[in-house]
Amino acid sequence: MTTAEFGSHNWGMVVDVDKCIGCNACVIACQAENNIPINTQDRVERARSISWIRVERYWEGDFPDAKARFIPIMCQHCENAPCEPVCPVYATYHNSEGNNVQVYNRCVGTRYCANACPYIVRFFNYWEPVWPESLRNHLNPDVTVRSRGIMEKCSFCVHRIRRGSRQARSEGHEVVDGAIQTACSTACPTSALNFGNFNDPNSKVSKMKEDQRHYTLLDQFATDPNVIYLAKIDADKKVGAGEAATHG
Amino acid sequence: MLVPVLAIGALGVVAVMGVVAAFIITGWLGQPVPVLGFEQTFDQPIDFPHTVHASLKQLDHIPADGQSMSGLGLDCTFCHRTVTTQANAGVPPVGFCATCHQVIGAADNEQLTILRDAADIIGDDGAEPVNWQRVHRLPDHVRFVHEPHIRYLTQNPSEIKNSTDGVTEGPSGVCSTCHGNVAAMEQIEQVESLKMGQCVDCHRDNGAPTDCVACHH
Repeated sequence: MTTAEFGSHNWGMVVDVDKCIGCNACVIACQAENNIPINTQDRVERARSISWIRVERYWEGDFPDAKARFIPIMCQHCENAPCEPVCPVYATYHNSEGNNVQVYNRCVGTRYCANACPYIVRFFNYWEPVWPESLRNHLNPDVTVRSRGIMEKCSFCVHRIRRGSRQARSEGHEVVDGAIQTACSTACPTSALNFGNFNDPNSKVSKMKEDQRHYTLLDQFATDPNVIYLAKIDADKKVGAGEAATHG
Repeated sequence: MLVPVLAIGALGVVAVMGVVAAFIITGWLGQPVPVLGFEQTFDQPIDFPHTVHASLKQLDHIPADGQSMSGLGLDCTFCHRTVTTQANAGVPPVGFCATCHQVIGAADNEQLTILRDAADIIGDDGAEPVNWQRVHRLPDHVRFVHEPHIRYLTQNPSEIKNSTDGVTEGPSGVCSTCHGNVAAMEQIEQVESLKMGQCVDCHRDNGAPTDCVACHH
């Protein structure tokens, strides 16, 4: 068998919350990479906006000692995903590479999955996506444009994963750690977002997730996410791993 | 009492048959499968004969000058240059055709006149692309990449189906698996259904991934 076979990886992300400066570059990068419709003011006001990754901001302390905290949240690609068993048409499932996959051409738009997801990272296309004439040629040809009535969510830039492993197979070697990056992790100026293969014990993300600051969002639901967070370090306030877990 | 019931029943049967007939008709017309002659083929802006360029045989095709000729036997990659490295096979720009055809071919050949006009060899209205009609078209939610398919079939010639005029080596030898014997086509037509069942069958037979995101993402 050739190297870089399908199914030999477990893709995941480590988010170092301590490094996140809340710049929203990941949000913009994702928006551009994945052909996400433009969120107009009207859509945001009706809570119909689509953003596969969002940076949640919250405040700690009271003015003038308030501190802004940021946490980027995208699909957690749960090993034990609440969204998967509720889909009546098997449009979302967990594949052998650790991705929670959304198959657009199977989706019939029941929105059960969005109701089941505790992280609120699934988005429904209530309208046919339209872009202004000036953006006619901006769409990413590797990503399907979702039409009206389709559920969508972060795919871990699966087209980049496919392209990266295809190149590795073509060149006859394993996928090099760090060669495949998502749009958000590429855009992140502080390397808060790190993407890689958890199956490889020597990969950057595998080492990062051994950090004692690690926690997962909403771990009381036992969803076993493939996105691991590293807690914020605060010189004024000691935050342990267990305490940080309640942030979600 | 009985008559209205029968009438409603008959109406229902007609309605159901109408729906079924509509499905069948749209299915036939919408599919590129050769059922009752619905092959997917288009009249192109220029009658480009793949026979002349790709075939290795003596041709029935009679060029404008009336002399019989044999095919040039060009490799598919001679014109479709990106097929071994990228997703798309690529159609050559007009200027590429012109590298040969500003010299080769009779001056009064109607089809070549269209080409030379587009390439601005004759006339002075500026170079413009030829609006070729795409024959092999996949749905928008399918991501097909030529490169790994060409590579696999080149390494595993036993999986090659059909044949391009007996060529078994090089990229030209493998294209026939999905595109048929293009070298024998005066006008390109789609010979395989290229529907998901065919893709999955081949992927399963050859140990390629059958995961949905292999193609749908």
